[in-house]
Amino acid sequence: MQASLRSNLILLTMTTVIVAGLGLFLGPIGLPDRYILLNVRLPRVLLGLLVGCGLAGSGTVFQGILRNPLADPFILGTSSAATVGVLVANLLGWHNYYALYFMALGFALSSIAFVYRIAQTHGKAPIQTMVLGGVIVSLFFNAVVFVFFSIFYRDSFTILFYLLGTLTGGDPKLMVISGAFILLSLAVCWAMSRELNGLTQGEETAFHLGIEVETAKKILFVAASAMAAASVAVAGMIGFVGLVVPHMMRLIVGPDHRWLIPASALGGASVLVLTDSAARTVVPPLEIPVGALTALLGVPYFLYLLKQRQDAGEF
Amino acid sequence: MLRLEQLSFSYRTRPVLQDITLEIPRQSFLALIGPNGSGKTTLLRLMSKVLQPSAGKILLEDKPLSRFSARELARRMAVIASDQHFEFPFSVVDVVAMGRFPHLNRLQRLSSQDWEIVDQALRLTCVDHLRLRPISQLSSGEKQRVLIARAIAQQPSILMLDEPNSHLDINHQIAVFNLLRSLNRQHRMTLIIVLHDLTSAAAFSQTIALLHEGRLIKTGSPREVITSELIRQTYGAEVEVFPSPLGGFPQVAYGPDG
Repeated sequence: MQASLRSNLILLTMTTVIVAGLGLFLGPIGLPDRYILLNVRLPRVLLGLLVGCGLAGSGTVFQGILRNPLADPFILGTSSAATVGVLVANLLGWHNYYALYFMALGFALSSIAFVYRIAQTHGKAPIQTMVLGGVIVSLFFNAVVFVFFSIFYRDSFTILFYLLGTLTGGDPKLMVISGAFILLSLAVCWAMSRELNGLTQGEETAFHLGIEVETAKKILFVAASAMAAASVAVAGMIGFVGLVVPHMMRLIVGPDHRWLIPASALGGASVLVLTDSAARTVVPPLEIPVGALTALLGVPYFLYLLKQRQDAGEF
Repeated sequence: MLRLEQLSFSYRTRPVLQDITLEIPRQSFLALIGPNGSGKTTLLRLMSKVLQPSAGKILLEDKPLSRFSARELARRMAVIASDQHFEFPFSVVDVVAMGRFPHLNRLQRLSSQDWEIVDQALRLTCVDHLRLRPISQLSSGEKQRVLIARAIAQQPSILMLDEPNSHLDINHQIAVFNLLRSLNRQHRMTLIIVLHDLTSAAAFSQTIALLHEGRLIKTGSPREVITSELIRQTYGAEVEVFPSPLGGFPQVAYGPDG
């Protein structure tokens, strides 16, 4: 069993490499020249890999802690909160990258804490209430964004593109910082796979298996939010990668987080680079914001999962 | 092994348990019974450190329970709570292997010795043939046995269960209780079980503790505790109690009024 899991993971790695290659060379106009390749395509593909990793990693961890395969930083409102964090940092004129990132993280953490607080009854946080809380938080932050829109209407096109999620504005320095946060958080979560596996069995059971539940949950929530915030800080709101990818990966490597986390990271990277390649080639010379495309593909999938669970009586 | 001294617990301002003193010696088989709301599940949650007492203390091996870390505790006691989540399709063997968590360091893998313990637990509970099946697809009787297998893999000295026979058909109930009895006798585990069903409490346990409105009314052998007098007092039910033809333990019988 271990051997087949390992070969699946190797297969996923190879897929990611192929997809990255495809992302580099695929374009609306023949083969790109060296300049485009190195200065336009390469950063974009790298950014796609990182953000895909971060979103899918974040989704996997949220789903594990909340014991629900429908959780995702976008649905829970974490991404929109981080977006507002970024906009606020810009508004305050903080162009320091760390300030930008920590604003995103701060907003993300407070929103997930808030949503969790609203939803929690008798030590449990039912997913319907969490999703509802997420929607409410998103609505609120969307309203905040519209306020920004009307104040900074001159920049509204940039803001709009940012809101819809895009891999075009890859600032190298911000990319390095975000990438470091994503990979570090991912490593922390992977090292806590056993705790995550325990938590999926219920918090009390996890405690009876020797896990310090509150500590583990705090670390994991922070790490998952850090990944979401880092992704949002560089690429805006790209939804549903965190929902769909862990679900697909569970079908391939099973629910054990020791395999699921690396698999989701690789799967997320592939899916996002692939979607982005599609986003910039389907209607040349224009391009669709990649976040719009992931939402177009992700929403039906979400509905399908929701319906399936409802039919199975799992609500 | 486990000692409760003048234990009280309040939920906000409502007292749930009051002044419980109870000594649970090594290798005992204790059933906690009482009507709904009598506090038996709360008592189990206090004894497993899920809840903290408002007053009084709990000593495990003469050391306060509060001084044990989750990990230290999990090596000594396994607990099967009544609410179980199987949202993710972990296989039976994965679930049972989780019983080894408290014995492993972070990132340490299960050794061949750990796998041997897991295999033994699977065989002992007769779920070996289900090992690769996702636990979410099993029947409730099978799930209960898998959870007991996970508890066995923890190699605890105390095993606590909350209503292990609820939702089980009678054949599965008998199988589960016989398994628990053999864990108690052959594997020298101390068993503490919250039970609804007086018949199985009387048939399988050595000691019964009867709770009523948060107080411990009586502790003793099944014959001492399961009496028509005490049942009337606590449950408010008219029942006849007579010795079972299967071994003399008390059996509760009831019928229509008049």
